[in-house]
Amino acid sequence: MGFPHPSDPRETVVLSQYFGDPGARTYQGWVERGGYQALKKALGMGPEEVINEVKASGLRGRGGAGFPTGLKWSFMPKGDGRPHYLVCNADESEPGTFKDREIMRWTPHALIEGCACGAYAIGAETCYIYIRGEFTEPWTIMSLAVKEAYANGVLGADAMGSGKRIDIVLHRGAGAYICGEETAMLNSLEGRRGNPRVKPPFPAVAGAFAQPTTVNNVETLAAVPHILNRGAAWYQSLCRGNPKSTGTKLFSVCGHVQRPGNYEITLGTPFSELYDMFGGVPEGRTLKAVIPGGSSVPILTADEMMNTVLDYEGVIASGSMLGSAGMIVMDNTTDIVYQVMRLTKFYAHESCAQCTQCREGTGWTSRILQRMLSGQGSEADLDLLLDLADNMTGTTICVLSDSCAAPVVSGIKKFRSEFEAYITRARQPALIAV
Amino acid sequence: MTAAAHPPEEAYQPVFVGERRAELDDLFTKYPTKQACLLPALWMVQDARGWISPEGINEVAQVLELTPAYVRGVITFYTMYHTHPVGRYFIQVCTTSPCGLCGAEETLAAILRETGCLELGATSPDGRFTVVEAECLGACGFATPILVNNDFIESVTPDRVADILRGYV
Amino acid sequence: MAEDLVTVTIEGTRISVPKGTTIIEAAKQVGVLIPHYCYHPSLPAPAVCRMCLVEVEKAPKLMPACVTAVAEGQVVLVNSPRAQKARTAVLEFLLINHPLDCPICDQSGECELQDYTFQEGRAATRYSQYSKRYNPVEDFGPDILYVTNRCILCTRCVRFMSDVAQTPLLNVSERGDRAYIGIDPGQQLDHPWSDNVVDLCPVGSLLSKDFLHKARAWDLDKTASICPGCTQGCNITIDTRDEAVVRLRPRPNYEVNRHFMCDHGRLDYRWLNRGDRAEAPLIRQGDRHVAIDWDTALDRMGEVIREAAGPAVLLASGRASTESLGLVRRLLPAEARAAIRVPIVDEEAPLAGVPNLALRRERIPNLHGARLLGYDTDWAGAIEAATTAGLVVLLDPELTPEEEAALATAPGRLVVLTTILQDGLRNAELILPTTTMAEENGTYVNRDHRVQRFLQAKSPPGMARPAWWVAGEVLAGPGPDADAPTSAAEAFDLLGESWPVFAGVTHAALGLSGRVLDVAAPAAGVAR
Repeated sequence: MGFPHPSDPRETVVLSQYFGDPGARTYQGWVERGGYQALKKALGMGPEEVINEVKASGLRGRGGAGFPTGLKWSFMPKGDGRPHYLVCNADESEPGTFKDREIMRWTPHALIEGCACGAYAIGAETCYIYIRGEFTEPWTIMSLAVKEAYANGVLGADAMGSGKRIDIVLHRGAGAYICGEETAMLNSLEGRRGNPRVKPPFPAVAGAFAQPTTVNNVETLAAVPHILNRGAAWYQSLCRGNPKSTGTKLFSVCGHVQRPGNYEITLGTPFSELYDMFGGVPEGRTLKAVIPGGSSVPILTADEMMNTVLDYEGVIASGSMLGSAGMIVMDNTTDIVYQVMRLTKFYAHESCAQCTQCREGTGWTSRILQRMLSGQGSEADLDLLLDLADNMTGTTICVLSDSCAAPVVSGIKKFRSEFEAYITRARQPALIAV
Repeated sequence: MTAAAHPPEEAYQPVFVGERRAELDDLFTKYPTKQACLLPALWMVQDARGWISPEGINEVAQVLELTPAYVRGVITFYTMYHTHPVGRYFIQVCTTSPCGLCGAEETLAAILRETGCLELGATSPDGRFTVVEAECLGACGFATPILVNNDFIESVTPDRVADILRGYV
Repeated sequence: MAEDLVTVTIEGTRISVPKGTTIIEAAKQVGVLIPHYCYHPSLPAPAVCRMCLVEVEKAPKLMPACVTAVAEGQVVLVNSPRAQKARTAVLEFLLINHPLDCPICDQSGECELQDYTFQEGRAATRYSQYSKRYNPVEDFGPDILYVTNRCILCTRCVRFMSDVAQTPLLNVSERGDRAYIGIDPGQQLDHPWSDNVVDLCPVGSLLSKDFLHKARAWDLDKTASICPGCTQGCNITIDTRDEAVVRLRPRPNYEVNRHFMCDHGRLDYRWLNRGDRAEAPLIRQGDRHVAIDWDTALDRMGEVIREAAGPAVLLASGRASTESLGLVRRLLPAEARAAIRVPIVDEEAPLAGVPNLALRRERIPNLHGARLLGYDTDWAGAIEAATTAGLVVLLDPELTPEEEAALATAPGRLVVLTTILQDGLRNAELILPTTTMAEENGTYVNRDHRVQRFLQAKSPPGMARPAWWVAGEVLAGPGPDADAPTSAAEAFDLLGESWPVFAGVTHAALGLSGRVLDVAAPAAGVAR
């Protein structure tokens, strides 16, 4: 079952099977649906075996970076005698993305099971699930589920009778996009400002509380039980020709579309197929552009998008990135200049204030665009925007600054005439002069 | 931002007593440092008092062995903590791009109108509402989502606003 | 340990540095200063200002030199077009909201934003259509103002308070370009070491009220010195303007005070500018003192010392230089009693993050030098002895009115070497004007027995001379052939003759960071 729409036959329903099914939320309901078999199996395997199975599956991080999950787990030191931590990134806040929210809302035990498997694999006794502060409903549901999991012996000092301690602690954020960046999340977890950290050291060496730590996305961890249940070979077989991108992925589709929602499809599916699933843009409109991987990636035009294969490599080949697979769809009524400005405003609001280029550049970029939208821009502003974007790319601790630059650069490159229309006043100002 | 004047807090009543103190002590067992309990502790204060007063900051600093300045630095990083009193119902409206494409700004205008809030961040004259714009609430497929205190409400359109607000008196 | 060295090429110069050295520190060693703001060698490096980005061959991105360790064979380009563009960009971003109020800014002339902008910033702004961010000036504490508008958010001050002072009184508040340095309204920046944030601030955002609008940086003369505030011996720079001390600032010495000094030491300098100074040698004639020339004074002093009968007592200031304490001590017989007053105040005020660094309870700089030279610290006993002694020599001690009264009526002969006019000691046969530590070269011995030099920062008033010169002249005796020391360095060389612990140590060898005396060596000690 999909949600909020019935699932499309072209979807490959794995993670989203029980979306919309309140019965799957309870411990009992989850067990009846085959839950916690994978954890039982994992606890009977060696941690190394679990890691190898995940490695073999080809599972890659679903939060945005697409790093191979098994490989990430294998970076954790072994036998070092120090506490290890698993931190589950449930700070989903990339504009256009709302998949982790649905996993937590409908299948909280799937996430708990995945976290427990992951914690076991990396030798962690504690897993913190960092849930963004605005996710009040997922928080409530997850809290109940964790309580149930303890009550039923899934978690605690003797997880499922294995003799292993596995604790899960929910940690609530308080409103900061940047805390979705893994090192910022670790700072926030430690009771600090959510400033991204300089790497190295990487979390596997010194992460939460300076101990070896793995940070995984909700969707990534939720996929692990399925891999353990059905085997790496099965997961790998969920593939449409590109062995580097395997398994299913939840695509959050939003914006100007007929049926917004999450679509779970096998990686490698052409965008055109997904387009049919969500019913395309509203009646009488045409597709103009798509931001395919959450707001931080370059904008693709309709043509580019229609020829894109939806996997990690495919979207790169089209000039963007798969990111978190949050698809922001824009039809022909869209004012690209305004949308680019709105995104830069978002980044200016969310910049943590550490790096100079980001702190000052995001706001400046947004102000130039606002001025342009109010009919006061000049041709030189376009060069300035591109130069600022260049100065903001690849020069800071994290990629928030780059993310602000990406829509500016791709927007001007692909829709330059729209910017020029505001400059020449061929188009009426969209904003009141500031 | 227009903040309502701080009500005089004649005698500050500590938050971390009785059950809440026990809850905090339980939290301490879940983290290797007391400092890690800062965000949870601030939530507890806000849940109890509606906002985090200077006295509340001092109390949190004291129970976690931090300085008030440190706690303030952290509070101001996060948008969800209130360092001044807000209306009984604090409404966050998502206006980020995906919702913006789907009419979030019209929804926001309707909410401002219906609540009687004169501007963003201001509390309505009857003290019921404070309305702010929020950046991406993470429910882009359900445009426009709003948060009324802890109630997450999806797919709010201007015509639904009056009905929804009736539930908050 | 050659295996621990890494060889890199920075701006075309090869250098081998210990493994783990950062690029920014390695570059210093080949004479390349990589521009930076947030980095400071005595603070943890957050790599946030992004000013120190350099090009490292084969690395796809520019690397922050402050946190990137050197690697074998690495080629670092500091002034490549890419690195330069990145720095120019950072400067531009910093300047969009920075006021151009250099003409009224205390930092002007010693401002790193000014310097680097001059070096490689853009000639004109591209941020002309927008007004700059504005926030009012904040009063942070007893001596510190925060000029919010000038702040570049390098966070040095925040890190100093949290990591070095380990008292997080400052924070970064808010986010993005709304961020500023915050303080809790119920607290003050009044930590005993808090003024260091003023030095650390690379721009004119954190200002000392004490120095506010007092002088332009380019009008200041800077002299290496040692803080006279306590036995720690923090290395400092004395800033003078027109013969007045206007500011003391820490001078780096990793063995003593790293880059810091305490507020007590920093702000206690007004005694160096006192106007009521002794400016001419005075001799007693009947019931009054009259001015005389130095030759006469020195001859007379020699006579007094030779003629005096009975025990001799020397009462000295712990602010006197080792040279002066030593040579004046040598004027008196070996069995003479010599003492210094040790003002003891409160508890120590340590700087938590730096081992062995504190404002010490003993608020004089040369307690340990005096000890090595045979002085004791039983001040009351020494005053008592002075009231019955045949000869009393004062070396600029601060006396209480009671002590002064006791000495004024003592039967012994009295010679006073002093920086301050002395009205109460009507019985003094000689009152000789001496210099303060700011007016002479000399050394202090700190609590770790580190001998450290201070240099003359301003001219002495009138005829005032260093006390070592007075004693040296008297010791050498009159006449053109007399071999008296003509410099503090020569005076210091004489100490070794009487006190072996100083033997072989010279001013030249001490340099400006000093040297620890081997007080445990058999030859050391206080024998004369």
